Amino acid sequence: MMKNNTNTIVAISTPLSSGAISIVRMSGANAVEIADKVFKTKSGKIPSEFQARMMMLGTFSASEFSEQAMCVVFKAPNSYTGEDVVEFQCHGGVQITKGILATLIKNGARLATPGEFTKQAFINGKMALSDAEGMMDMINAQSDAEIRAGYNLLSGNLSKCAFDAQNELVDILSELEVSFDYPEETIEYITKNNAKERLKKLHQKIEDVLKTSSAGQMIKNGVNVAIVGKPNVGKSSLLNRLLGDEKAIVTPIAGTTRDIIEGSFSINGLRFNLYDTAGIHETDDQIEKIGVDKAKNIIKSADIILFVKDTKEESDEDKKVKNLLETHKHIKLINKADKLKNYKNNGDILYVSAINGTGIESLTQKLYDMACEDKQMEGGLTIANQRHIDALTRACSSIHDAIDNIDNFTLDLITIDLNMAYSALGEITGNTTSEEIIDAIFSKFCLGK
Amino acid sequence: MDKNIKKQLNNNSPLCFDAVVIGAGHAGCESALALARTGHKTAIITLDKNGVAFLACNPSIGGTAKGHLVCEVDALGGQMGINADKTTLQLRMLNMGKGPAVHSLRAQVDKHAYHDNMLETLLNQENLTFIEDEATDIEKQDNKVCAVKTRNGLNIKTNAVVVTTGVYLNSRTIIGEEIKDSGPSGFKNAKGLTESLEKIGYTIRRFKTGTPPRLEKHSIDYKQFEVQKGDNNIQTFSFLTKKANRNTHVCYLGYTTLKTKQIILDNLARAPMYSGVIVGTGPRYCPSIETKIVRFSDKDTHQIFLEPESARSDEIYLQGMSTSMPKDIQDQMVASVNGLENAEIVRYGYAIEYDCIDPLGIFPTLESKFVKGLFTAGQINGTSGYEEAAAQGLLAGINAHLYLSGQKQLILTRDSSYLGVLVDDLTMKGTIEPYRMMTSRAEYRLLLRQDNADARLTQIGRDVGLVSDERYSAFVKKMANIEKIKQKCKMMIKPSEVLDKYLISVGETPAPNGLTIENLVKRSKVEPYSAVKSLGLLKGFKKQELISALTEIKYQGYIAMERQLIEREKKLEEKRLDADMDYTLIKGLRKEAAEKLNQIKPLTIAEAGRISGVNPADITVLLMSFNNKK
Repeated sequence: MMKNNTNTIVAISTPLSSGAISIVRMSGANAVEIADKVFKTKSGKIPSEFQARMMMLGTFSASEFSEQAMCVVFKAPNSYTGEDVVEFQCHGGVQITKGILATLIKNGARLATPGEFTKQAFINGKMALSDAEGMMDMINAQSDAEIRAGYNLLSGNLSKCAFDAQNELVDILSELEVSFDYPEETIEYITKNNAKERLKKLHQKIEDVLKTSSAGQMIKNGVNVAIVGKPNVGKSSLLNRLLGDEKAIVTPIAGTTRDIIEGSFSINGLRFNLYDTAGIHETDDQIEKIGVDKAKNIIKSADIILFVKDTKEESDEDKKVKNLLETHKHIKLINKADKLKNYKNNGDILYVSAINGTGIESLTQKLYDMACEDKQMEGGLTIANQRHIDALTRACSSIHDAIDNIDNFTLDLITIDLNMAYSALGEITGNTTSEEIIDAIFSKFCLGK
Repeated sequence: MDKNIKKQLNNNSPLCFDAVVIGAGHAGCESALALARTGHKTAIITLDKNGVAFLACNPSIGGTAKGHLVCEVDALGGQMGINADKTTLQLRMLNMGKGPAVHSLRAQVDKHAYHDNMLETLLNQENLTFIEDEATDIEKQDNKVCAVKTRNGLNIKTNAVVVTTGVYLNSRTIIGEEIKDSGPSGFKNAKGLTESLEKIGYTIRRFKTGTPPRLEKHSIDYKQFEVQKGDNNIQTFSFLTKKANRNTHVCYLGYTTLKTKQIILDNLARAPMYSGVIVGTGPRYCPSIETKIVRFSDKDTHQIFLEPESARSDEIYLQGMSTSMPKDIQDQMVASVNGLENAEIVRYGYAIEYDCIDPLGIFPTLESKFVKGLFTAGQINGTSGYEEAAAQGLLAGINAHLYLSGQKQLILTRDSSYLGVLVDDLTMKGTIEPYRMMTSRAEYRLLLRQDNADARLTQIGRDVGLVSDERYSAFVKKMANIEKIKQKCKMMIKPSEVLDKYLISVGETPAPNGLTIENLVKRSKVEPYSAVKSLGLLKGFKKQELISALTEIKYQGYIAMERQLIEREKKLEEKRLDADMDYTLIKGLRKEAAEKLNQIKPLTIAEAGRISGVNPADITVLLMSFNNKK
């Protein structure tokens, strides 16, 4: 009955992805112990052997990667929070930073709630009122970002999963609870087997969602960009220009789209996958038709569309593409700027030259901004999102415990596991009181003397 | 009138008491005893001595979660458990198969003997004076309570008041079209005090409850019912009771019929619940039979129980058929049950409406937020149930005592007791219906067991002066023995045929190398107490000591998990908030949160976190602005 219920907290404390350096901060009684498992200097020293407040260079090892990073240990009470604190500084970039965070969580830390480091600092008497007041605006800003993040598509899938899972849990819990509080009624009480079956289904559902969560996908698989335009507008050269030196890291992605992905490149550590399309003109040619259909699908599932033209004129095909653009994030490009004499970048259209590189920097910046738009929010969303994943993971493991224990233990103990799951989900849904379970009991069963 | 009071009045000297308790129901009795026992000169005012500790509804004490409350009252030095044990007709342990956290004791008690015993206890209590009168006014001076006035013109000077008016405040009883200005069971009701409470600042609410008809014992055909016997050799409520429980009576189980349903449906127009006569809010967990039939229309029959009211009366309580239908309909309803065709109704079921206060007007100490020295307990706070009332009454009595002695008042936390959960729920969330204790309301259920109520609370009771030397030395001995048992559980049991035979008999694998008692107990199919008994281990300890110790060993992992959750909460629980704080002045707090906080005035940051409408971000802001006064 090992429980992953630690009070050592961890979080990314720099805005995700844009900076050159990211800092991941961990605080709590087990911070140094956890750091020992993942960090080593060249000479083989581990964090528990470091001199306090001394920055050490070494290797951060996770199962999927190892990365050069700096590590510094602050011993309690001489730290920001008043507990043992370990900080990792690594190259900025979403994947590496996230990877470090995930690795520390896997090794026993828990994702900090917003403002929790400050809260901890305050609880441990490390912060005076005047300092605390200064922090207040920052905390508020963060929670605002979280509220907005709640509406974001990225987290939508996860929070929906949490809501559904919590509803099902309330249902199961109310059936268990009713048997404790009303043991003498003429109702059909839930059996262990029945509860177990339902819990297994629930567990599977959460696991599936966790695996395919779009948040995980964006981080793992990158942002999908479709290049649309007639032949001969310079799509290939633009492609090559964007891929540039990064061609070395081109990794084809498994699945049906393999034959279309041209390559991947990264901006500020966030990966972008480029897809070329054959154009979407009407055709009677069977083979060509397959290509057009495929292109339409790519456009539909793309995160961002690059619409490339070489003049301002619009063909019939361009008009069709424009209809598609209305529902998508997109950038309109006029390529071959090197051949044009007078042009002016305005907000709507970007002039670039794949040949001499004019405007490419503006393009990548715009791509990056667009990808992070409504996902960035000063680190708010990415954290909210990781928070959801973290909460769902904990809920999932508590449900797993319940399934494991149900045959061997009495039902009052099983409800402890389920209540842990319930409250983990409550961190996402906001429902954390026992009142919901009691309401469910009374709406479902005819009870009472 | 009491002789002493007469004497005082004749001498023209003003009537003075340290404390006055208004009402002598289950809450009032505990309050008055706690105050008198801690040395305060106390007056208890009751409308009618015959109504003292009266069981107006079901003749039973305990049940799920309520049994826990009784054990807690007992552990703190209260009277309810002792009294229930003395007057038990039948005792059962509910939920035996579902685990130690939810084991719940329930006793059928003799309602006349229960009243007699409690009355005798009060009359023999030093420092306690009885006044048969009606309190009509509570007066204050400098925002402190200072006097209670009565219908008969008494003006009692006092420094502390506990109000426990139960269902008597402006109550009216309803049986069909027959509406009476009356208390329960034909007792007089109380008027006037509502206005006084309103003036003080409380928000007044109107709640409703009900009771079923009572039947004449000899008019029932018991063959049509299933007998329900008590359990033998189980623990009693009080840690002081030495005798084993008695099971002198049985209960019976039966069902309503389709005919019952039809009678009710045909006469809904005459049901006060549905004709608009009843305006008070009733409890969901204690619905009338007409409510059950309307709300769960797919069910054709409902359970009913026949319970003895007393060894010396011929009344049988018809549990499950609470109703406020007109008398002629009640006659038909009862007769429609198999075995009750010829049953005679001795007293008809009725609904009762009464005034109570919004508990958001009180602190978790049960003291008023408006006037110092004024406490409320029991149904006036929006709860229902004898046990909920007694537990609050005891807490109010303890805190009135601490207030009078100028000491810090007692707040019971959610991890200390069901009483702590109850009071926290009431004062942080309020309630929109009569509040009943349920095990599902307690988040640390495995730690709040009946068997360890004394380990959780007796030291607190001792510290406030309610735990006698006798009780305390028994407690200290029990705790020491539990420790001893835990030590002994580390010992090896040598391999033997007897051991293996036992293991196989319960479905476990044999232990060819032997095993420690601890590991034996922890095996999933081993029931700890019966295992040590069968194998002749740990001799010389009492059953209760063994159960407590072995439960803690067996469920170590889960207990540790609950303790960890508590630790997390504890740090915030220790951050105390100023009751006079104006939250609208705190920068960064959302308006909704500030308003809620101003209304409820939580005493700690953890409490603030449990208020609905206050979110984690608000708590962070609160923490930031919290002035750490040390």
